[in-house]
Amino acid sequence: MLQLILRRLLQAAFVTWSVGTLSFVLMRLLPGDMEFRIAAGRYGYDHVDLAAAEAVRAELGLDRPGWQIYLQWLGDLLRFNLGDSLVSGLPVSHEIAHLLGHTLLLAGAAMLIALLIAAPVGVWAALRAGGWFDRLSLLVSALLRAQPVFVIGLGLLLVFALEWRMLPVAGFDGPRYLILPALTLALAMAAVSSRVVRHSAAEVLRSAYFNFARVKGLSLRQALQRHGARNAALPVVVFLGIQLASVIEGVVMIESLFSWPGVGHGLAHAVFNRDVPMIQGAAMALGLLFVALNLLVDLACHLIDPRQRSAH
Amino acid sequence: MPRLFASLSTSQRVGAGLLALLVLFAVLEGLLGRTDPALQNLAQRFATPSLAEPLGTDPFGRSMLARMGAALRLSLSLSLVCVLTSALIGVALGIAAGWRQGWVDRALSFVLNVVLALPGLVLILLVAGLAPGSLLALYVAISLVLWVEYFRVVRAITRQAVASQPMQASRMLGFGWRYCLRRHVWPALVGPVATLAAFGAAGSIMALAALGFVAVGLRPPTAELGLMMVELFPYYSDAPWVLAQPVLAVFLLVLGLNLLAGKRA
Amino acid sequence: MTILLRIEALSVQADGKTLLEPLSLNLAAGECLTILGETGAGKSLLMHAIMGTLPPPLTASGRILLGDTDLASLERSARERLWGQQLAMLPQEPWHSLDPLMPALQQVAEVHECVHGQAPEQAQQTATQALTGVGLEAAAARLPGQLSGGMAQRLAFCAATAAGAPILLADEPTKGLDASRRDQVATLLRQHAQQGALLTITHDVEVARQLGGTLLVMRAGHLLESGDAQAILAAPQHDYTRALIAADPRHWPAPLVAAVTGAPASEPVLEARGLRLKRGGRQLFEGLDLRIEPGEILGIAGDSGCGKSSLGDLLLGLLPADAGVVTRRPGVAAHRYLKLYQDPPAAFAAGVPLRRLFDDVLRLHRLDPAKLPPLLERLRLRPELLARPATEVSGGELQRLAIARALLLDPLLLFADEPVSRLDPITAREVTELLVQSARERGCALLLVSHDAEALARACDRHIRLG
Repeated sequence: MLQLILRRLLQAAFVTWSVGTLSFVLMRLLPGDMEFRIAAGRYGYDHVDLAAAEAVRAELGLDRPGWQIYLQWLGDLLRFNLGDSLVSGLPVSHEIAHLLGHTLLLAGAAMLIALLIAAPVGVWAALRAGGWFDRLSLLVSALLRAQPVFVIGLGLLLVFALEWRMLPVAGFDGPRYLILPALTLALAMAAVSSRVVRHSAAEVLRSAYFNFARVKGLSLRQALQRHGARNAALPVVVFLGIQLASVIEGVVMIESLFSWPGVGHGLAHAVFNRDVPMIQGAAMALGLLFVALNLLVDLACHLIDPRQRSAH
Repeated sequence: MPRLFASLSTSQRVGAGLLALLVLFAVLEGLLGRTDPALQNLAQRFATPSLAEPLGTDPFGRSMLARMGAALRLSLSLSLVCVLTSALIGVALGIAAGWRQGWVDRALSFVLNVVLALPGLVLILLVAGLAPGSLLALYVAISLVLWVEYFRVVRAITRQAVASQPMQASRMLGFGWRYCLRRHVWPALVGPVATLAAFGAAGSIMALAALGFVAVGLRPPTAELGLMMVELFPYYSDAPWVLAQPVLAVFLLVLGLNLLAGKRA
Repeated sequence: MTILLRIEALSVQADGKTLLEPLSLNLAAGECLTILGETGAGKSLLMHAIMGTLPPPLTASGRILLGDTDLASLERSARERLWGQQLAMLPQEPWHSLDPLMPALQQVAEVHECVHGQAPEQAQQTATQALTGVGLEAAAARLPGQLSGGMAQRLAFCAATAAGAPILLADEPTKGLDASRRDQVATLLRQHAQQGALLTITHDVEVARQLGGTLLVMRAGHLLESGDAQAILAAPQHDYTRALIAADPRHWPAPLVAAVTGAPASEPVLEARGLRLKRGGRQLFEGLDLRIEPGEILGIAGDSGCGKSSLGDLLLGLLPADAGVVTRRPGVAAHRYLKLYQDPPAAFAAGVPLRRLFDDVLRLHRLDPAKLPPLLERLRLRPELLARPATEVSGGELQRLAIARALLLDPLLLFADEPVSRLDPITAREVTELLVQSARERGCALLLVSHDAEALARACDRHIRLG
């Protein structure tokens, strides 16, 4: 248990370090002098002159060798001192905090909808393995998986928002705006996870222990409740951990498509505008979110599987 | 080659067929087509498909046939190069880590954890930010993300093969590592690596399109499938057939590769 | 005497092929009925046909009368309601038949909850009594992965019979258990038969003898002879029955292969001191000393999971010991200490013709290819077998091929890890005999692992027991 948490903390450290380093390289690669850009970030482009830049250079010690500046850069990062956005001039940490809430809402809603689709579809397909429902769900899943997630989004957008005008197109102004982006992401996730649920459930239904439970005298429902659910859930939860990376990737694309005011949208925007402090902040927020979700999955596995608990 | 084809399942053959058609189209258009994909002709906006322009034209009157050909060549060649690079690196390092274990394994696993700490697309976005619009940066970024998967799988299979009883038996009989690699490890690797390569190609095609789509990948006027979707989306009601083309192309490419990869969840 | 179960001309088919020839039998209250024969073809199908658990392409025909009802004519759901309460089945692979995530006690208690509607606490009490009855009270909280083979079988017995079915079907109930555990299970089964009836399938003549009652001898789906168990075992009519009885380690001549006399005492081929090994938090052995003389046949006995295989790996240097040292005779090539595997295909790379694997060995050690044909002949192997890959050769032949390949290298020590446990009894005896003979002829020391102490007592010069 403690080991799990420590492992994820280490991962969080990796995220911080690699994002910080990449951002630092990015900053040094930008055209123009660093002090001018930082001064611009602080005082706005109109108020930057040689004197202001000189003041920044003296204050931050930009004359020092690169590795010293790099260390200071990382040090700032550890103190959550992310600097100001080069575009809006606002502190990055405030902006990220604002965006993160929206991203959490979107990701949470999408994962919930995905679960509500994938679990019943997968279990039903497994109970009638090889039947028409199993084959239909395989076909739908294969078709969905052959699209990048934003194409699914484009399709839903065309039909529900532009043609039928049932739902808003983009932005965020109330719960109705959540439906299309969350559904898009959920469909992409469910396309894969419904098949994982199906395979895992079929495996359990075929297993010697499930059949023995029936032969002991348990009814199908009792056997499913006592021996089916937990054994089938384990590989699904493990898979969820693997799928998390694609959830975060989906968030980036879906937020951009629907102009959802979240971290992914912020990141794409920042990369487009070369707003390095914002790139760093957004990438780090997504990375840390990824780590946090992974930790939740680890803990869920730990709770489900008594073998892990007794092993430690 | 005929034996390889015979070993494929029906759905894998369908996938291979789809890909062959797309490759054929891309290559033939490149050899025979004479139109510049960037050549504008504003008098010819949204021309419907005709004999001269079999796929119609886009809002700038550019030939969709030429643009689709160029975009497919770009996606196919980028994915091919990315898959080859990442497979080569991933397989070599995976075998090294799975076999030697000890410090080699720990060092490589450390690198693996650094790369895995971030979701792939976020890493690609960051690297793309280093050099906007550069194809080379995209190639490096996508390969950097993809090799990890080969490394993980190859390492696990190699570990298993090295610990397996057949290989233990061979070692006890006095056989060296070259023999064990050929007889025990390599046969176990071929299938999974081929599957990963197909999925990896699909992944890099989608990643390229995704970057174009969120406007941080290649820059206009490059003909790139994701970029084309963004450019054409505003005209969805005027010229749906034009928007459908890049969407369909990505769909068929990825479907073909997924089918070829075979049955796996 | 009331007949509980009457079977009339029951047969099993798949795709127009008959896998089990029509069979009739009566099972009376309090009776033990045993079907004896080789593992595999036909026998297990009978159990599944009676339960109604034949997997899809297989179909049964004939009548299965439970009292007055013909089970074959019932709906599937009606047959399922009989499970546990009328018909109980002891699974073949107890380890795999237990839920890997559920503690032992709960696997029994839940039957009392679900079938008899007992409250959870009461169900736990009833289950605890049952576990105590089979000596498992200490293991109540353990998961199946933490149980030994014998414990898992006893737990499966408690779970299978918890719902109270009078008729118990047991499919190879003693597979992989050593003699003392096997006797325990046989006793449990006999006790159950007194309150109901028992139908057992086994390949173990000794189990058939202990259970008594009526005996049916079958081979490849055919009934060869039937009658009172003791009478048949004392005076078998059929050649196959005789061979089966002769293959039982109890009926092996002692010694199985006469020792070569006058072997001069010399340096041991292997010496181990103070070996200790822990696995999964369990101490397997400690302070183990072992000295293996040249040409000695040494047996290692013990239950499944007691560390027999690990001890072998330790002696061969394939596994590090937690404590202790192993020393080989100095100046001997490493490839003269070899191993035979429990699962015969484990010794060979898959998907390659065996000839190529043999050629690989001949070439690597620059051996004369003319050495191979007489060796194959000695082990009664046809040279044509070498054209096939390992997966297309029977287990008995493959194990002998593995022996042949090992003997090519003129080994000083062979560690044989239950080399015949996956083979049917008649082949098992043949392979054991050939293995011991070949080792004796070449003066090669042999470490023979088995769960069957009787077999070791007859095949080996001496044997030790683990666990």
